[in-house]
Amino acid sequence: MSDSYFPVGPGLGMEENFLSLDDILMSQEKLPGRAESSLPRLAVLLGQGAGSAESVPEGSKLEIPLWLAKGLHDSKRRIISVELPKIYKEAWRTVFSADANVVDLHKMGPYYYGFGSQLLNFENPENPEIAQTDSVCFLQTFIARFRRIMDSSQNAYNEDTSALVARLDELERALFQVGQKGLNDFQCWEKGQASQITASTLVQNYGKRKLAEVDG
Amino acid sequence: GDLGPFNPGLPVEVPVWLAINLKQRQKCRLIPPEWMDVGKLEEIRDQERKEDTFTPMPSPYYMELTKLLLNYASDNIPRADEIRTLVKDTWDTRMAKLRLSADSFVRQQEAHAKLDNLTLMEINTTGAFLTQALDHMYKLRTNLQPGESSHSQDF
Repeated sequence: MSDSYFPVGPGLGMEENFLSLDDILMSQEKLPGRAESSLPRLAVLLGQGAGSAESVPEGSKLEIPLWLAKGLHDSKRRIISVELPKIYKEAWRTVFSADANVVDLHKMGPYYYGFGSQLLNFENPENPEIAQTDSVCFLQTFIARFRRIMDSSQNAYNEDTSALVARLDELERALFQVGQKGLNDFQCWEKGQASQITASTLVQNYGKRKLAEVDG
Repeated sequence: GDLGPFNPGLPVEVPVWLAINLKQRQKCRLIPPEWMDVGKLEEIRDQERKEDTFTPMPSPYYMELTKLLLNYASDNIPRADEIRTLVKDTWDTRMAKLRLSADSFVRQQEAHAKLDNLTLMEINTTGAFLTQALDHMYKLRTNLQPGESSHSQDF
């Protein structure tokens, strides 16, 4: 069934893929920010007051989803300013460069790479080197964790993999699944299971439902 | 191409699928390829362990041929069990080597590689994983280029 289903993958760049469910979930993540000008009649939505007429005062701290922050952010008209989340700051970057394998990216993320790449949109034009260090940091993190993902995905045959994937970011999980599929397909072929014809999962589920209806 | 003529007791070359089919109908006896021999396979295995790069394999489908012949015609192949172990050892050595080279490839952020003596089966087993990982890496790396930000909308 999964052969005939082509989901839109995540964009993983400066721009998300419009129809990618992963990217839509990713852009829901909250981002710390600060209002640079007062925002009339929005206090209720942003959790700053009760009355619908109240405005968000200038300089107040906000937690806004990435998609909204992206829409409001503009280097010329200062509506909001965006701060880096904790895990993308210098202190965490040092941890990543020390040993990327010990970090639980699922707890930090779960869209560590995708979200981080989107954050490059907000960097001030004056300091491009921050974007550079960020990007280099993602790349280094990915490279450092690559070996572990590859080894564990291709050595673990017929094992419980939940412990292995628990600390992986969503992107790495997809990669892990691909590696597992390669290994499993090969092992199936070697044991001669690939030549056996089995009913597709779709048909199996369909049959079950029908039986249940007859019973009921 | 044309096959045959088929005469009893005389060797003739046919495609593997036909050989297997005839064997299953008990109409023929299979002759193992020259390289499918304990002495030669031991040599290949030791050579593979010695060298850092991939060594040429006796057949581009050595894994497939071993599996098919041993599954359907193991009675025609002398010392079939030893051959199975030797080929499996060679495969494991090569896969470990492939993983090692993939890791250093990623670490040095290379953009291309040459893998002359890999067989299709080996490429296919890790291929999807490797290309996807490199795809991610490429995207993470091109985030650096400032030219891309010019696509974003200006309000």
